[in-house]
Amino acid sequence: MDIIVCIKRVPQTAEAEVSIDSTGKSIQKDRLTFDMNESDTYALEEAVLLKEKFEGNITVLSLGYPDTDDTLRIALAKGADNAIRIKAENFENPDAFQTAQILKSVIKTINFDIILTGCIATDDAYSQIGVTLAELLEIPHAALVIKVDANEQRTHVHRELEEGLIEHLDIKLPALLTILTGINEPRYASLIAIRRAAKKEIQQLGKENIELEDLVINSVIEELYVPPVTKQVEILTGSPSETATKLAGIVKEKGLI
Amino acid sequence: MKDKKNLTTEINPEIRDILVEMGAEDIYKCYQCGKCTSACPWFQVEIYDYPVYKFSLETALGAVASSEDKKELEKEIDLIYRCVGCEACLDQCPHGISTPNILRAARRLLVDFGSYPEILKSTVQKIHNVGNPFGEHRENRADWAKGLNVPDYQQGMEYLYFPCCLPAYETRNQKIAQATVGILQKCKVSFGILGVKETCCGEVIRRIGAENIFEEVTKSNIKEFENSGVKKVLVTSPHCFTTFKNEYPDFGADFEVQHTTQYFSHLIDTGKLKIDKSFYKKVVYHDPCTLGRKNKIYEEPRNILKNILGLEFLEVENFNRNLSVCCGAGSGGLWLEWEKEERIVNVRLKQLMDTGADIIAVTCPYCLQMFEETLKSMDADIKVMDISEIIFECL
Ligand code: SF4
Ligand code: SF4
Repeated sequence: MDIIVCIKRVPQTAEAEVSIDSTGKSIQKDRLTFDMNESDTYALEEAVLLKEKFEGNITVLSLGYPDTDDTLRIALAKGADNAIRIKAENFENPDAFQTAQILKSVIKTINFDIILTGCIATDDAYSQIGVTLAELLEIPHAALVIKVDANEQRTHVHRELEEGLIEHLDIKLPALLTILTGINEPRYASLIAIRRAAKKEIQQLGKENIELEDLVINSVIEELYVPPVTKQVEILTGSPSETATKLAGIVKEKGLI
Repeated sequence: MKDKKNLTTEINPEIRDILVEMGAEDIYKCYQCGKCTSACPWFQVEIYDYPVYKFSLETALGAVASSEDKKELEKEIDLIYRCVGCEACLDQCPHGISTPNILRAARRLLVDFGSYPEILKSTVQKIHNVGNPFGEHRENRADWAKGLNVPDYQQGMEYLYFPCCLPAYETRNQKIAQATVGILQKCKVSFGILGVKETCCGEVIRRIGAENIFEEVTKSNIKEFENSGVKKVLVTSPHCFTTFKNEYPDFGADFEVQHTTQYFSHLIDTGKLKIDKSFYKKVVYHDPCTLGRKNKIYEEPRNILKNILGLEFLEVENFNRNLSVCCGAGSGGLWLEWEKEERIVNVRLKQLMDTGADIIAVTCPYCLQMFEETLKSMDADIKVMDISEIIFECL
């Protein structure tokens, strides 16, 4: 079974103090630690578990700056066979849709049975890339997957929905799954694997190496700001439809749409 | 838990060479006598079998943390992170081998590949991000000093007092910093603090193996000290002491460091610190590994306690000075959770309580925290106090 795992190197901000940088469009990164996006580590582990079961090949793929090589190397040490970095420096701050288009251009040149991604990146929290990528590749997908039970043609998956509801799906491969944290226990890398990974080449793809259609840009970051602290809080009560009606009324009344 | 390694481990000389480069050069000196194993505090935790003597040989074979089996590897990495860096092994080793340094070499490689306990990752990230391991806000760093009239350090002052993180933020530990400045003020010592500009000394991140971040923190601290014109630093924590004194000079630091017990002992001997009140309590002194074994400061804390009227000074029989047993907090141990019956702190607390003391005197914020936290869940009639607090009570 050939598996592609899309990963992202992100600043670890869950417990950090974050401030906006001088461009007003990004955050200050000098005191932040970078690591593989949390749910991507679970996607990678799920890939390694599938490989242990079915054999095959794992390719990790990331659109990132040169320091992303460190993260790709960690993925190699934890069980991936090949790593590809698409040079982010060749693209101007791609949004989620563009990122998915770029990933698609590369993925269509690789054989795969299954693509795994994390379900959300902890930096921009878009949660879009996996599902958009599946649509662009015209393959079935399941998001927020908490259990994978695959054979070589199909996979049975559990998706975790609101209030603990679990949806069971049976999906034909090739398919894309976005993986939730907690689905497995990501492994450590052994020193032997670390040595092996250190020697592997990470394929570097620039814009010139990728056959790209014209990129569609859907969103541009204009400004980042910390929400001002306001004193006005109104808690809406009632059934979901009552509160939704009240909310719609407020939004209209304040001229927000 | 027994360590039984299955034979999924490969032998790999290349790993040995890298680990030697990262600080494990002692491995070749080991002749497998096993003295280190019996000196290690884990040896006294009867339920747990910690094979200290094996680490040199395994590293020399390049067969450390090398299992390809997921569960087996977890056990190996668990072993690497159990070491509390107390150096009891080094103290007893006939060939002067530092097992914690050997293990730290492996930790460095593991950290680079994100293969270490999550809780320690978070500790490293927080120190890197906000300058303390608890993720507390920088601007609250000097809150402990509110209302105590403690000036910011200015050029020309004799001492910079550096409480470091636990005494800066943790409520119980703040009392050490407060008592310390009380004593300094009483003795009219010229001193100030860096306040919100203070950042963790970084000792724990180095012990965890995050060498790059340690270097970044160290360089920025040295710059801060230089910019402020600091020449002498007075520290509460033996961990800051050893890092500033023995490790910062490698990065260009040029300042003098004193532990508060050294300074207070000197002030008593020279008549500048007069302890007026009596303290009719039985007090046992716990030598912290980093102050004692590592830096050979054994007598100053004892000198202080023996100068207090009424205080009955007790030693832990056999296990004092260089034979003191670690509280379990070093090298990241404060953050790691072990099964209740597998904790080093229980061994040490039992030894201390068996002396019949009313009070355990400590000189390290980690020890204070470790003992206090553990005593909360015990029905014990014993208190823990830092020596600064005892002095302050007697002024
Ligand atoms: S005491 Fe020293 S020489 Fe003996 S086994 Fe331990 S490390 Fe090796
Ligand atoms: S430093 Fe302490 S805990 Fe670590 S191996 Fe040596 S004796 Fe054991």
